[in-house]
Amino acid sequence: MTEVLIVGAGLTGLFASLLVAERGNAVTLVAQGRGGLELSHGCIDIWGRATPSRALSRLRKSHPYRLAGTAALHAALEFFEEITQQAEYPFPGSISRNLHLPTALGAIHPTALAPQSLAQGDLFDGTPFTLAGIDNLRDFYPQLAASNLRRAGIAVQSVLDLPIPLDDTRHDFYTSDLAHLFDKSNWREEVARVWKPQLIGIKRLGLPAVLGLRDPQHVLEDLQERLGLTLFEIPTLPPSLPGLRLEVILRRRALNTGVHFIEGPRVVGRIDGRSDGRRVSGVVLQTVGGPRVHTADVVILATGGILNGGLVFQQDGRVQESVFDLPVNYDQGRGYWTTTSPLDSQPYSGYGLLVNDLMQPLDAKGAPIFENLYVAGGLLGGADRTMEGSRQGIDLATAYRAVEVALG
Amino acid sequence: MPVLSTQLLVIGGGSTGLGVAWDACLRGLKVVLVEQGDLGQGTSGRYHGLLHSGGRYVISDPTSACDCAVENRVLRQIVPHTIEDTGGLFLATPTDPIDFPDRWFAACQELGVSAEEITTAEALRLEPALNPRISRVFRVQDGSLDSFDLLHTLTAEIKRAGGQVWLRHRVEKLILNGNTIVAAEIRALDTDELLTIGADFFVNATGPWAGQVASLADIKVPIALGKGSMVAMATRPIHTVINRCRPSSDGDIIVPVGTVAVLGTTDVEVQQPTDTTIEPWEVDFLLAQGEILVPQLAYQRPLRAWAGVRPLYRPTTGELGETRELPRSQIILDHADRDGLQGLISVFSGKLTIFRLMAEQVMDLVCKQMNIAAVCHTAETPLTMTSRSFYKLPDRLAKLEVTTSHDLPQVVCECELVTRLAIEEALRFASTLDLDEVRRELRLGMGPCQAGFCAFRAAGIAHELAPTAPASGGLTPFLEERWRGMVPLGWGHTLRQMELTRRIYLELLQTHSLPEPTK
Ligand SMILES: Cc1cc2nc3c(=O)[nH]c(=O)nc-3n(C[C@H](O)[C@H](O)[C@H](O)COP(=O)(O)OP(=O)(O)OC[C@H]3O[C@@H](n4cnc5c(N)ncnc54)[C@H](O)[C@@H]3O)c2cc1C
Repeated sequence: MTEVLIVGAGLTGLFASLLVAERGNAVTLVAQGRGGLELSHGCIDIWGRATPSRALSRLRKSHPYRLAGTAALHAALEFFEEITQQAEYPFPGSISRNLHLPTALGAIHPTALAPQSLAQGDLFDGTPFTLAGIDNLRDFYPQLAASNLRRAGIAVQSVLDLPIPLDDTRHDFYTSDLAHLFDKSNWREEVARVWKPQLIGIKRLGLPAVLGLRDPQHVLEDLQERLGLTLFEIPTLPPSLPGLRLEVILRRRALNTGVHFIEGPRVVGRIDGRSDGRRVSGVVLQTVGGPRVHTADVVILATGGILNGGLVFQQDGRVQESVFDLPVNYDQGRGYWTTTSPLDSQPYSGYGLLVNDLMQPLDAKGAPIFENLYVAGGLLGGADRTMEGSRQGIDLATAYRAVEVALG
Repeated sequence: MPVLSTQLLVIGGGSTGLGVAWDACLRGLKVVLVEQGDLGQGTSGRYHGLLHSGGRYVISDPTSACDCAVENRVLRQIVPHTIEDTGGLFLATPTDPIDFPDRWFAACQELGVSAEEITTAEALRLEPALNPRISRVFRVQDGSLDSFDLLHTLTAEIKRAGGQVWLRHRVEKLILNGNTIVAAEIRALDTDELLTIGADFFVNATGPWAGQVASLADIKVPIALGKGSMVAMATRPIHTVINRCRPSSDGDIIVPVGTVAVLGTTDVEVQQPTDTTIEPWEVDFLLAQGEILVPQLAYQRPLRAWAGVRPLYRPTTGELGETRELPRSQIILDHADRDGLQGLISVFSGKLTIFRLMAEQVMDLVCKQMNIAAVCHTAETPLTMTSRSFYKLPDRLAKLEVTTSHDLPQVVCECELVTRLAIEEALRFASTLDLDEVRRELRLGMGPCQAGFCAFRAAGIAHELAPTAPASGGLTPFLEERWRGMVPLGWGHTLRQMELTRRIYLELLQTHSLPEPTK
């Protein structure tokens, strides 16, 4: 049995830990923070700009998808679908055709897999739909979304504001407040009673994503039945409910399959003294009580890119990898990292580690640095995930490949 | 043909132009002011925020020092709501010239700039974050002044007194009759229409643009432009203005303004008033200098950087004498005297602190030339505070905290505690649905997240108020403006913040895939 240590508890780290546990190996997941799932839309973007299955084969050889390989991507998706099915939070969609979902701004989000409550909002589905806001929710503006969709030539049947049936006259709600209410069946009953008269003639209704956190599929089905229509959800500003739900599902499964979590400490990489520097022996946890060594046979780095702390961009113009100080591929000098518009592609987005097709980080000469260290997810360079619409696909495929290689 | 005629046309809506227009209103003149941008788009909205005590100029420019000392007291009387009485300290560090503090202190006393020496122990009790290795400390009457509040207040007063303030109107031509200016051709930038305003007298108060505007009347006003960059830190480790007690140079002052501490400034010659790009070395320099005064700044997050452009008069030989340095005190050019052109005065340079005095001096000259006997009343006329413009974060918090949870208002910008009601009111009052104007008025999006969360909400609210306006048309420029302020600081936590903004606006909201706004 191989002892695996995974650093990072985002989509990549959690998914990798499930894969390792699935194969009956011991796995410890250490993470300083929580990863980026609650900042995300909670869907699986594979390739946003074209049909994913066709676009991927034409990528540069150094692109993470090419390094992980199509087989790993397919296998990863299969396992992901299995996990979400079993958690009763299914993700319809496929790699051969993107769904086109409305965003809260009324732009169009192409994505491969989405939770059912989001997928039912596919804009090319043909069923007319209405958008509804919820009074006093600060993060959803149905008029704005509808206007932008209409500008793009998409018909929105009507726009509504639905009340919150609470005695309390608060003017301020977050999506998470509402999600907890929707988890309760007597609340849903009350909502349905108040909303139903306002929904006459509506077949499909889009709401901000607030329909429950604990058992969202049940909430969706129950409310659809009570209202007699198809519902779909639109993710809002962070904390985004669909992202949170996915995190809950992955963590729940990780705990149930025996993944050992160590959360909180910052970690520093540790090299095996007996291997001439060719192997790592684990990490050192910087705990409150002092440094603690944690050893493992294999380490998988899933610390993410700049947002999650895997890469550290220094004032002096250097970019560093935060655990083992591995070489990063980047342009030296702050002046090169960004452009003048936040909506353009940013040079820094493509910076990261260079790896071989075994997901091992490489040195300047292209040789693997350590025999038993693997890298997956946002830490990898060579892809502009934001502009490509490829973030979650890369996370899953590279996590799969790293585990596959690490466990031999 | 003029569509409108007035007695006085003021060109430029910074502190100087608005000050002149307000002074003229109080003297009973009919006034129109035109400004090509929004309030505060020139230097007045990009300045350092210091209400000068005069201390910074006692050696280099004694006249300015005296003017500042007097005007500091006047402004505390007439616009107290725009000022935070932070007080100021002048610190000598071990690397500064050892004889300077004594010379400096003597000059303060001679010029009537109030200053008092305190022990370093007392200074550290006042401001524990100061570098403990300072050798001497003096206390002065510095303050910080919110220029947006000031400009809004002045505009409201001018309108109340019957004057007009036209934003987004640019003077493109000055029309002469013989050697007298009689009218200005003005482009309304929202509609692209051209109109003509006739006036008996014109004041060119266009700051760094003063040379360009003067050239519309074929007059040469040689101006050198000096760009100064500033960095706002996300926290306020000091609550007093911190100056370095040494011969004035770059990077020697920290001003606490609102929720941030602003480090400044550099001085780089540029070619255009709009050349405000900040170089990485400027930021590195300002942070390094700031750390000398307040070491813990090394661990704080820089939030935003911006630059303002100073117009410096660079007269030809003979006009001011060869040996004098380029003066930084106010320049008032009477073009009748100087160029034989009637009806135009240019005023530029100086400080925001002495805007009232500059306006008084200009209007005295205008009245003399127009044969009007009215005298200046601005020094003894307090400006009414507009309820909307009053901004202090603790006051906003206090207001929110006394409301019961039942009618707790919706907070749209959590960093600066801007409520939905405030945004709705600002949008109704504003002449456009421009989110950046709402920002300048309410500080929307000025806090640690730099609009990452509230920009979307504000766009949604704006669209509810004006469903016919191009949907979210104001969102992209607003985000781009915030982004520009972070780019020079794009490393470490600031770059992470920028990445978070991109995750939200590109991955979650897909803003980049919206169809182009239709005009
Ligand atoms: C970096 C820096 C830091 C500073 N810090 C301080 C400080 O801490 N304390 C202090 O007291 N002073 C400070 N100052 C000085 C102070 O900012 C200026 O003295 C003051 O803001 C000048 O105001 P203004 O109205 O003359 O110019 P501006 O504010 O630049 O106003 C000129 C206006 O004219 C408009 N305009 C130009 N051309 C046209 C046209 N053709 N038609 C219509 N409108 C036109 C412009 O859009 C602009 O808004 C600082 C200056 C700089 C550069």
